[in-house]
Amino acid sequence: MDTIRQEWFSNTRNDILAGLVVALALIPEAIAFSIIAGVDPKVGLYASFSIAVIIAFTGGRPGMISAATGAMALLMVTLVKEHGLQYLFAATILTGVLQIIAGWIRLGELMRFVSRSVVTGFVNALAILIFMAQLPELTNVTWEVYAMTAAGLGIIYGLPRLTTAIPSPLITIVVLTLVAIALDLDIRTVGDMGELPDSLPQFFVPDVPMTWDTFAIIFPYSATLMVVGLLESLMTATIVDDLTDTLSNKNRECVGQGVANVATGFIGGMAGCAMIGQSVINVKSGGRGRLSTLVAGLLLLIMVVFAGDWVSQIPMAALVAVMIMVSIGTFNWESIRSLRTHPKSSSVVMLSTVAVTVATHDLAQGVLTGVLLSGFFFAQKVGRILSVTSAACDEGRARRYTVYGQVFFASADRFSRVFDYQEVIDKVYIDVSRAHFWDITAVSALDKIVIKFRREGTDVEVIGMNEASATLVDKFAIHDKDGADDMLLNH
Amino acid sequence: MRQQKKVLACVDQSDYASHVADYAAWAATRLSVPVELLHVIDRHSEISSGIDRSGSIGVDAQENLLERLSQEEGERSKVVREQGRVFLNKLRARCESHTGLQTDTRQRYGQLLSTLKEQESSVAMYVLGRRGESASHTRRDLGRHVEAICRQIRRPIMTVTDDFKAPKSVLVAFDGGRMTRRGIELLASNPNMRDLPIHVVMSGKRSADSGRHLEWAKHRLRTADFTVDASFIPGDPEQVVTRAIAEREADLLIMGAYSHSPWRSLLLGSRTNDLLRASQVPTITLHL
Repeated sequence: MDTIRQEWFSNTRNDILAGLVVALALIPEAIAFSIIAGVDPKVGLYASFSIAVIIAFTGGRPGMISAATGAMALLMVTLVKEHGLQYLFAATILTGVLQIIAGWIRLGELMRFVSRSVVTGFVNALAILIFMAQLPELTNVTWEVYAMTAAGLGIIYGLPRLTTAIPSPLITIVVLTLVAIALDLDIRTVGDMGELPDSLPQFFVPDVPMTWDTFAIIFPYSATLMVVGLLESLMTATIVDDLTDTLSNKNRECVGQGVANVATGFIGGMAGCAMIGQSVINVKSGGRGRLSTLVAGLLLLIMVVFAGDWVSQIPMAALVAVMIMVSIGTFNWESIRSLRTHPKSSSVVMLSTVAVTVATHDLAQGVLTGVLLSGFFFAQKVGRILSVTSAACDEGRARRYTVYGQVFFASADRFSRVFDYQEVIDKVYIDVSRAHFWDITAVSALDKIVIKFRREGTDVEVIGMNEASATLVDKFAIHDKDGADDMLLNH
Repeated sequence: MRQQKKVLACVDQSDYASHVADYAAWAATRLSVPVELLHVIDRHSEISSGIDRSGSIGVDAQENLLERLSQEEGERSKVVREQGRVFLNKLRARCESHTGLQTDTRQRYGQLLSTLKEQESSVAMYVLGRRGESASHTRRDLGRHVEAICRQIRRPIMTVTDDFKAPKSVLVAFDGGRMTRRGIELLASNPNMRDLPIHVVMSGKRSADSGRHLEWAKHRLRTADFTVDASFIPGDPEQVVTRAIAEREADLLIMGAYSHSPWRSLLLGSRTNDLLRASQVPTITLHL
């Protein structure tokens, strides 16, 4: 009872007002993302309504805004083009089902493998993609469109200097629409882009054959949508966590996103996820609780259904201005400045994530590249935490090697090279009790070292192998060896 | 080394805080342990303030917003912290003049219950006001935290009402159960309480065992040099105990607490809550 009250009604007034601001900001975005996906604005608007409303109840992060998003829209383009709208709805439902399963098996925990640099790369790539998606509206058009877009950006950024009481994107849209109608400009409007909602959404089952073939067509799309949707949602959840200094339930969020997408597919909407820009706007406007998300979704539908005629008159230039704002607000500009100061490997990870995403228009591939690269760089760095010292003992008849650090596939080669096999000596002690042997590669490297010494007629005694190889077992217990911590700090 | 236990006085910025501190000082002298005054600051991060409804996001929107929010919250926390520190220091002076013992103060962020639970192992007794800061504008006759705390925490908890009056005699609402028997044992093992006459009262339905239980309690306290009278008064415990307190002019009640599940309390009401509401004297509840 206490949590319900806290998550819903502890911030009522500000939640409702923030929800209103977000609803106004969501309308242009939902339309713009529908156009990116190549579907009627109706599809994105219905989706934004249903996702926002359902996630208000099922989500794990109060105050986060979810709706139809650019990241998801970009992944559907070919599916819509080649197979049509009904397959998109089916894919949306399947995406939701996969997300629910992901939540159940706690896939959200995998987020810890996504490093800070990959997240930054993801965000930057997303901003670039949103910006690039506006370019078709700005190429081969008359000067009026440029003037309108510039005026729109002027209002968006100028108005908050005068007053922060009314949403500047809303004013932009109203002013530009009135100007376009008054001057009777011949420029593209939202109405030209497809059908707008004229009624409340209705439940229906997507009109696709229930066959294995259908499944084979939609599954690859759904799998990618699931990954990107969860990635963006969980990243946004972390951002909102930081902004509000509260915790969220990541696995509940996964399931919540899934439920929202399943329902959305059944009312003719496209798959969506959490939105970084809108969530920032919500928190900035004072939204903290679930009520803000619910209000945003409900108001969005009410406004669109009852002001549909007006919405269709909005010039595309106004939407483009709003979307440019979203892309500028989403981009992490700090990351460009810090390219010089951050370690090169982090910068490479970030830039590769951006490059692969922009090239493929698929955030999933970008993130995969980033994660693999950061794993690679990490292995390389940890591989350097290895040192071997040696001292002659027993009056020159023997030598004692002491190994410190991490021995695994990335450092095994260096490990075997530090031993002096040419030394004329009776016996060699290899003390590995202060080293960690992480994998089979490490063990076989040690075996080879022993064999090499034996060939020279040198006896070998390995000391502390049990301690060193305790890490080999996959489910090893946390064991602290003397000096293990010091070594990590020293290097 | 054994950890020095303490009396933990939970105070908020209300008039009740000084009574809590006074009773804590009294309990600390009786138990020969120091007092710690704890002020829990409940941060409400789910409530927003400082609103910008422009709906626009500029360059580095997220970073700028994070900076602004954390700065605002930081400033607010500083004010609250400073207020709390001043008021805790006042209470500390009061406590130290009563006990002559070193008194510690501490402010913690977090939820009251979990903060108290964390400290359980180092606390000999908790002291809290039966009502708190919000008492003047709510009609509840029992603070909203009291029941939850008494249920969750396995230590003696003294809940106090208005105005400090050094207890002169003690009434034990005895039911022969495990908790109150422990209570008698604790009492008997504390020689600092010997100057207080103890009234042991049993109520409810008379059973075969009740006489024996009562006799045990009387004997246990007598052998520890206490002045005891024990009586069985049939009837509804709430009424019997309240009347017995008035008749015997006892000014401290000791009783067992919440021996039944929360479900049962939801259906039948909780005897502990009834007694806490009805009794006008400070009460030590035992839920061990």
